[in-house]
Amino acid sequence: MKKRVLSMLLAATMAVTTLVGCGSSTSDTKTAAENGEAVEEAEDDAYLSETEKIIKEAEGMTLEELAQKAIEESNGKTFYGVGNSSRGKTALPLFIEYLQSIDPSYSMEYDWQQPKNNKIFEQLTADSLKPEGTFAMTLIQDGNQIESKMVQTGILDTYIPKEWAEANGTTPDEVDGYLSLQTLNKVFMYNCTGSKEYDNCWDFVAEGEHALFMDIDSEVVGKNFLYMLTEDKYAAQLKTAYDALSADEKKYFDPVIKEMEPEAASLGLGENGKYALAWIKLWVGSYNEQTDDGPICNTLVSDSATDQSGLLVYSKLRSVEESAGVSVNNIKVAAYQDGYTGMGGFGYCHYLFVTDNSPLPWTACAFIAYMTTTEDGFSAWGKDMGGYSSNPEVAKAIETTYGHSKGGYDEEGNNVFDCKNDRGYDWWTTDGGLVLEDPEYCSSVSFTVGSWIELLTKYADAAEEE
Amino acid sequence: MEQTQINSSKVFLNKIRTFFSKPQNVILLLFGTVLTFTTIAPIVAIVQDTFKVHPGTIDAFLTGRADGYSPVNYVDLFTSPLAKTNLWSPVLNTVLLAVLTCLIAILFGGVMAFLVTRTNMKCRKYLSSIFIFPYIMPQWTLAVVWQHLFYSNQITGTSNGLLASLFGILAPKWWCVGLFPSAVVLGLHYAPFAYIMIGGIFRNMDANLEEAATILDTPKWKIMFRVTLPMVKPAILSTILLVFGSAMGSYPVPHYLGLTTLSTKYVSLNSKYTGEASILAIIMMIFGILILGMNQLSLKSRKSYTTVTGKSGQISKINLGKVGKHVIAIVLIFLTFITSIFPIISFAIETFLPNPGDYSFLYNHDASMLTTKWWISRNNADSAMYGQHGILFNKTIWHAFGGTMLVAVICALVAGTIGTLIGYAVSKNRRSKWANYVNNMAFLPYLMPSLAVGAAYFILFSNDKINLFNTYALLIIVGTVKYIPFASRSALNSMLQLSGEIEEAAIIQDIPWVKRMVNIIIPIQKSSIISGFLLPFMTCLRELSLFLLLCTQGFILSTTLDYFDEMGLYAFSSAINLILIVTILIFNTLINKITGASLDEGIGG
Repeated sequence: MKKRVLSMLLAATMAVTTLVGCGSSTSDTKTAAENGEAVEEAEDDAYLSETEKIIKEAEGMTLEELAQKAIEESNGKTFYGVGNSSRGKTALPLFIEYLQSIDPSYSMEYDWQQPKNNKIFEQLTADSLKPEGTFAMTLIQDGNQIESKMVQTGILDTYIPKEWAEANGTTPDEVDGYLSLQTLNKVFMYNCTGSKEYDNCWDFVAEGEHALFMDIDSEVVGKNFLYMLTEDKYAAQLKTAYDALSADEKKYFDPVIKEMEPEAASLGLGENGKYALAWIKLWVGSYNEQTDDGPICNTLVSDSATDQSGLLVYSKLRSVEESAGVSVNNIKVAAYQDGYTGMGGFGYCHYLFVTDNSPLPWTACAFIAYMTTTEDGFSAWGKDMGGYSSNPEVAKAIETTYGHSKGGYDEEGNNVFDCKNDRGYDWWTTDGGLVLEDPEYCSSVSFTVGSWIELLTKYADAAEEE
Repeated sequence: MEQTQINSSKVFLNKIRTFFSKPQNVILLLFGTVLTFTTIAPIVAIVQDTFKVHPGTIDAFLTGRADGYSPVNYVDLFTSPLAKTNLWSPVLNTVLLAVLTCLIAILFGGVMAFLVTRTNMKCRKYLSSIFIFPYIMPQWTLAVVWQHLFYSNQITGTSNGLLASLFGILAPKWWCVGLFPSAVVLGLHYAPFAYIMIGGIFRNMDANLEEAATILDTPKWKIMFRVTLPMVKPAILSTILLVFGSAMGSYPVPHYLGLTTLSTKYVSLNSKYTGEASILAIIMMIFGILILGMNQLSLKSRKSYTTVTGKSGQISKINLGKVGKHVIAIVLIFLTFITSIFPIISFAIETFLPNPGDYSFLYNHDASMLTTKWWISRNNADSAMYGQHGILFNKTIWHAFGGTMLVAVICALVAGTIGTLIGYAVSKNRRSKWANYVNNMAFLPYLMPSLAVGAAYFILFSNDKINLFNTYALLIIVGTVKYIPFASRSALNSMLQLSGEIEEAAIIQDIPWVKRMVNIIIPIQKSSIISGFLLPFMTCLRELSLFLLLCTQGFILSTTLDYFDEMGLYAFSSAINLILIVTILIFNTLINKITGASLDEGIGG
């Protein structure tokens, strides 16, 4: 079928070329070049799946135009979505309301699933085997696995909304990579009911430290954090932080750093790779694995967790209720403390994709555009701190509405919970030293640095062997 | 010549007609075929998966291909530097966990059974009822209770649990995480198995043998070891049979208590080492098949135990003495309070705490800190609700409850019916090899660790032809296959006790088979048959390992409960536990009132 379409397109292009062949010589050359491009484009298009063709068309449309298409396509139907965030379930009714504001007779049922334990990849792979899938779109994290399991295999397609691209000063065609809904940050925090201070990211892997962290095999995105540390930029950041340590503090780390020198060379890492590997080795060998960031937060805010530390999603602080034994003021965000040196945490993205066998591709595109280009669409996530829209205009509107930078202030304007004053994406990615996930880099080192990490003895395993 | 041919074909047709005129043959043929498929097909699917190249995983990296087949997963799992971490340590831990669980279950359940049935201990009825509670509750809830009790900042690097907060007691690390707590929790969970099985024998055994030994002036310890224990040996073997596979396949308990087993390794390897994870599932299955083989051997050897000649009405009760009967009862009441009542109280309290695990009201003696927000909040945007509605208005929980009830009821009805029919048919053709095969085929899925069965079915039903992931149909199919043994064993044991003459009399009267079953056989063995329906129902309600890979959270109650536990939202998970316990108790009471059958009469068949 594809070949037939391609040959028809080529024949048509040749016919058009013959027909326009009576113009001037300059225009002849130009036309030939244009025709060449058209042929290439036609060839490319011929290999696109039906969903990719729709996406290509959708990328030239405004949200309103897309909404019209979505109304035509999904009125009276059920929309199935799957994602790593449960908030998709909150965003969908708002999207339906938006469509109803255009056509009051519009209705759509919805079902949003949130698999755990990495199951989303299996679920999407299984669904991709059907000629027409169940899921219209997905909101998914872990750039590394997305690249190798979802994108390279053609299971998921990227759609870049026109208005999102414009807000970022570009066009859909020029965007290279995936569409991110938001960046989330996991930040280093510590219980401050004792006297211990953490003023350097190496303090979290110092002797006797056992920071609380979600197991990297349970939440695989945690591995991406470790992979990213080996990238030159972040390895250099670790070296700078190491240099800031006192000679006494360095004593514990020096043998490990030395031991990592040949490892870094064999893994093809840059000059500061040994610092990255040393930090990773110490971290894997010391972190106290937990099932989720929720229990980590519950532990750290308790008055009995004196001197405990952890790396957890910043937004978890939103739900802590003050009581005699629990307070948000029992913790400090390491990067917010004066004189703190080194990385303040890890940033990873929630990406949006249309499934290649999407049963409702237009509606999926419209929903994605709605979430990434409107404040209402992002409000399901935007109302909490620690999640930053990839659309600068939406991010600005969210800050105006929710005032996360003063999230720790009470109604009288007193700064009650300092650690809840979110300093924002720009601060975190500069002064905050947030390590940002790069799917391509993660994918490239997944079986080099990744396999090396798997050989390390985890703190939990060492405890078992004892 | 032609006449001979006609005659032989007539004979053949007659043979077929005669064969099919017996309902037990039809049942065996039908379910033998179906069970062969439902048991073998998932195994084939998972074996195939171990050779498959999965994009984005280690096999794709090692082969440099994105699809096709390769033995590379076997080579890598068994020979790579990660072999110890990914294979041998989990295998060792799994075996140790299963063995220790069996030991604890048999010791605790067996001693309890002995004290309840063979002594004059006080409060026997209360203890008998309360003892099965840990089996009613999802197994990992005891693990979570364990964490809340024993964890401490100093030892486990978390916030303080109850004992550390209130009394400053710091439990050592080996007590808090790893093999010991996992085995204790699973042992307590499965002790009711041992209690019911061993108790059944103690209750019905012929006391003449012990009395004869007493008359011959044999010391009491010798009577115990030479007479009593050998008689309960078959029950102990049955307990091992049932508990070993279940403990091996348990995912949540080792997961929460920090032990790396084949199940937890399967889940953690699955993203990057998909094919190798499938090999781990196969290893678990091999253990299941080995247990089945051991069962066959034990059945053969059990022939030598037929010294029990029949029921004796004179079961002698050991006198524990005036003080002893009270002291032992008090000790057991305390122990069962810890294992059965305390978790329920703890679940109830948890739903009123201001923050998950925040027991500060206890050491501040201030009950005003407690809150009803987890129950009645109608707004998920309320602060400190973690984006959830209160339990009473939480659609996710009630939708999952509906899903669980649907799966449990249908599984119970289908598995109960099929199992009863198989039990009946096997008892009728007990010397037939085919009947023996069908019986084993029905029993095999039960002996295979739940997680491995779930994994195999996930692979089997995730293809371009049939894609059943996250459907109730899939859960019902898997649940039915897994729980048929509850009913088939229960029915087989009871049917074997039934004299063939009863049915033969009805056959002579030309009473149709359906009528014979409905009016004669089922009423006589009502109690066992109902327990064959009740057990799949109850087990389905709180099954996690089997369904973990087959649906998303929010689909059924156990996955929702696990989700909330993992997220640390203990108010919701505790409420779900309470809902499950109340549901099971209501059903148990209802069935007990209507039919006279009850749970503690039928566990394990």
